[in-house]
Amino acid sequence: MSEALSLHTIRPCLEGAIPAVMATCDPDGTPNVAYISQVVYVDAAHVALSFQFFNKTRQNILRNPRASVLVLDPVTAHFYRLHLLYERTEDSGPVFESMRAQLAGIASHAGMAEVFELKGADIYAVERIESVAGEGLPAPAPRSGLLHTLRLCSESIARCSGLDELLQGALQGLQDKLGIQHAMVLMLDASAQQLYTVASCGYATSGVGSEIRLGQGVIGMAARERTPVRISHMTHAALYSHAIRESMDAHATPDAPPLRGLDIPYPGLPEPHSQVAVPLLSAGRLLGVLFAESPEDMRFGFEDEDLLVAIAGQLAAAIDLLQAAPDAPEPLPTPTAAPPVSGSALRVRHFAANDSVFINDDYLIKGVAGAIVWKLLRDHQHTGRVDFTNRELRLDPALRLPDVADNLEARLLLLQRRLQENCPHIHIEKTGRGRFRLCVLRPVVLEDA
Amino acid sequence: MSLVLDPDRIAMVAKGVSAIVASRDATMRPSIMRAVGSHISADGQEVTVYLRRSQSRQLLQDITATGEIAVVFSEPSTHRTLQLKARQAKQRAAHADDLPVLQAYLQSMVNEVGKVGYGPRYVAAMLAAPLQDVVAVTFKPAAAFDQTPGPRAGSALACTTPPRP
Repeated sequence: MSEALSLHTIRPCLEGAIPAVMATCDPDGTPNVAYISQVVYVDAAHVALSFQFFNKTRQNILRNPRASVLVLDPVTAHFYRLHLLYERTEDSGPVFESMRAQLAGIASHAGMAEVFELKGADIYAVERIESVAGEGLPAPAPRSGLLHTLRLCSESIARCSGLDELLQGALQGLQDKLGIQHAMVLMLDASAQQLYTVASCGYATSGVGSEIRLGQGVIGMAARERTPVRISHMTHAALYSHAIRESMDAHATPDAPPLRGLDIPYPGLPEPHSQVAVPLLSAGRLLGVLFAESPEDMRFGFEDEDLLVAIAGQLAAAIDLLQAAPDAPEPLPTPTAAPPVSGSALRVRHFAANDSVFINDDYLIKGVAGAIVWKLLRDHQHTGRVDFTNRELRLDPALRLPDVADNLEARLLLLQRRLQENCPHIHIEKTGRGRFRLCVLRPVVLEDA
Repeated sequence: MSLVLDPDRIAMVAKGVSAIVASRDATMRPSIMRAVGSHISADGQEVTVYLRRSQSRQLLQDITATGEIAVVFSEPSTHRTLQLKARQAKQRAAHADDLPVLQAYLQSMVNEVGKVGYGPRYVAAMLAAPLQDVVAVTFKPAAAFDQTPGPRAGSALACTTPPRP
C-alpha cells in the first residue's frame, strides 16, 4: 500500500540517473506518456521538471495542470509516483541554470547533446508521493561518517589564522577527508565581473591568477546564479567544460609583443567527467566559488553537494573574517634592513592601461594586484622601503581599491603566489596581521610603458 | 480502417523494450506505471501490456472506467520511442500461458537496459512479476506517435481517428 513520503527521502531518484516518465491528460480525455530528463528537488513541496520540447506534454499541462510522474531508485529499483500540479515555468534564475548545466551532462551521456536544450524549468507543487509496491533490492547502507567528515573540515577551517593557510587547509581537507583530488578556490572580482583562481590542488600547474567570467561554465554559472551547479556526466558537455586551455600566445600581436599571455592558463582537468561548483557566500555577499572535479562519472552525489555547501559556508565566513580583521595601525617603527641584492637586473615593465606587469617580458599579473606590485617596487626603489601595511594600500588612491569588500588579502595572496611561481627573485612575506615585507634579491629596472 | 504500423516499429515493440502505461480518471487526473511485459501481434493490430495489480491499482481502475490507454515503448540504448493510444482495452488475469512472454520480455530488457549500464539483477528487480499479481491489458492501437527525441518528436504516424467511447 502507498504511504506518505517526503521529497527528501526520494532524493536518490532525482539524480537523473534513470529518466523519469510522466503522464498528462488532454482536456478531451486522451492520456499521454513521455520521458522526462530531469525531476529536480526545489523545496520540500516543489519539484522542477525539464521543459525541452514544445510537445504534447507541454500542451497538456498548460491546459490541464495535473501530472503523474514515475521515478525509479537507481540502486533499489523501487518505484515512486509523484502526483503533481503544474504552477509555472522559469527560464532564468538558479533552478533553471543549475538544471540547464545538469542537463548538458545528461545529454552528453545520452549522446544527445544537440537535441537536449532546456527551454524552461517547469515548477510543480507535489500533492502526494506514493511508494509503489515491489520487492526491489536492498537499500545500500547509508554513507556513514558524513557529519564527522564535516566536523573535521570545520575544525581545520576554524584553526586557520591567515588566508593562505585557510585556503590551503580547506583544499587539503577536501583531499584527505573527502577524497576530492582536484579542487580550486576562486575569488570574485566584482568590478571586472570575473573570478580569479587563488588556490588549487591536484593540477600540474596551479593556475593561480587564471580568470573565469561570471556565467561562464559551471564555475561562472554557480557564481552568477549563487547556486550550486553539479554535473555527473560531462565528457562532451563542451558548453560547461572549463578544459579549454588557451595558449599563452593566444593574444600575441606583432605590434604589442609584451602584451602576450595575459591569460594565465586555467588549470582544470583536460577531460572532467564530474564537476561541482558551490558559491562562497558570506553575509549575503558572493565572495567566490569552491570548485571540485573528477575524471570519473557520477563522482559527486547530492550528499557530496550537501557537504560542500556546508563547508563553503564556513569557508566563506572565515575568508570574510580574515579579510575584515583590523590592519596594523602604523608601519613597524624599526625598519628592517633590505636583503642583499645581487645578480643580473630584472626588467619590470608596467602598462598603465590595465596595470599589467611583465618581468623580463614574462607576464606576471594585471589589475589591482598589478598596480600593487608596481607601487611596492617603486616605493622600494625610491626609498629602500621593504615593510608595508595593508592599511597604506587601502589609503592609496592610485590603487583604486573598492571601499568595502576590497579582497585585498586575496589579491596579495594572488600576487605572492604569482611571484613564487614566476619570479623567485622577488617575493612577499607576511610579517603580521595587515603587514608584509617585499624581498627583492636582484637589481630591478622599472619601466612605465 | 485501422492503424497500420510499419514493420520496423512492430519489430521494436516485439523485441521487448521499456513500456510505460498511462490512463486517466473521470476528473482528468492521469495515472501511470511501468509494464512488466509486453506483446504485439505480428500485424501490429493487437498489443498486450502486463501490469502488476499491486503497483497499478489506480491505473487499472482508470482503464476500466474510461477505456483510455496510452503506452510509450522506448529502446533505452537508442532512445527510439513510439507511443500507442487507444480508447478501449480489455483486462484479464495473467496465467501460465503468459509466462514465456514475460520471460522473453525480461530477457530482452536485461540486454537492452544492460547496454546503458544496469545489471541483470537490477533489471530483474525492476520487472519482478509474480504471476498471481499480473494483469494483461490488451488493446488495438488507434493512434501512434513517433516520440524519439528530436525535431520529429510527437508527430502522428498514419492513424485512424479513435472512436469516442
